Amino acid sequence: MRRWACHRLIGALALAGVVLAVAEARAQWFYHQEPDIPRLADGSVDLDGPVPMLANGKPSLAGLWEHDDPLGYLFNIASDLQDDVPFQPWAREVFEQRMARRGADDPNNFCMPSGTVMKHAIPAPFKIVQDPNLLVLLYESRTIFRQIFTDARPFPEDPQPAWYGYSVGHWEEDTLVVESMGYNDRFWLDTQGRPSTEQLRVIERFSRPSFGRLEVEITVDDPGAYTAPWTVRQTMHYLPDTDLIEHICQEANRFPEQIGLEPAE
Amino acid sequence: MTWTRNSLVMLASIGSIAAGGSALAHHSFAAIYDTERSVTLSGVVTNVEWLNPHAHFFVDVETDDGAVENWDFELASPNGLMRLGWRRDSLKPGDEVTVVGLRARDGSPRANTRSVTLADGTEMFSGDGQQGGLL
Repeated sequence: MRRWACHRLIGALALAGVVLAVAEARAQWFYHQEPDIPRLADGSVDLDGPVPMLANGKPSLAGLWEHDDPLGYLFNIASDLQDDVPFQPWAREVFEQRMARRGADDPNNFCMPSGTVMKHAIPAPFKIVQDPNLLVLLYESRTIFRQIFTDARPFPEDPQPAWYGYSVGHWEEDTLVVESMGYNDRFWLDTQGRPSTEQLRVIERFSRPSFGRLEVEITVDDPGAYTAPWTVRQTMHYLPDTDLIEHICQEANRFPEQIGLEPAE
Repeated sequence: MTWTRNSLVMLASIGSIAAGGSALAHHSFAAIYDTERSVTLSGVVTNVEWLNPHAHFFVDVETDDGAVENWDFELASPNGLMRLGWRRDSLKPGDEVTVVGLRARDGSPRANTRSVTLADGTEMFSGDGQQGGLL
């Protein structure tokens, strides 16, 4: 069986060339032929194919997605902005302190969550599961989930601070607008250390212009840390024929011993 | 060297060209490793830890004075490595390897792995070591 699989693989690589070889390489260990998605003649996913629709007539955002180019945003969420984010003075001071320590105190280093904004820039896939009243984001990195309620419920009156806040969504034509609040102030917005406070509100505008493309516009509105709201845009692509893999950060995290630090407050 | 491992290596190398992003990690890489201090070392694998959030493998390296120093090489996360075609037995104790990595700032025998070359010359890629750290 193994020899058969190997021969089949070699044949595929030889015929398909480097581009398909890469796809094959990525797919080998978690491959399943995903049914009912638009494909090109060579079997690859048709990124420009039609967008599937929900029962309520709105676009489905469901699927496994991967950031097109996460790293710039991961280190610097403001990398596409002409100027840096509009820091409050204290926030700039905190940011510069964190930069001076090369990000050693990032809660990520100690397996704490990344928060809503940084999570969009993590270089690992995430899955969207959706029905008309609920959208669930399943993040491979750290095996974390988010719920976005799309059943017209209001925000809770007294949300308690949380790493991922409380999210509700509504449709504006074919764009899902997700508003989130109820955050704690313990996570960083990027690994350089742009901070946030419990006043943070995040507005994410999800759109799917074609089958294989997802766009997310993220507005950070936090008067506690910034003098004005600011917005960044990120793009994702569909990852076909594979699935999420678990990632358990707490298993054997060596960062504290590597850096000689105790966990940050 | 088994066929299976050679194919893994080939796949990992090909995959790294365009698919490396999926194995990248983030985190305070710069707090631990020095991107200006690349190191290339050869030796024998003594242990492999296929664990989250990052896999590690250890290599006995002979120093100039004949002593043996055991180096700790950090890899990407197992899920990221799997997406590049690695398996937990892609490296095994006893394998002769040459490793390119970025050395720890504190001068200890540790590095973040960029690539691993096996005795037959095939190369395995470990995501982008410059990004290092935790997913």
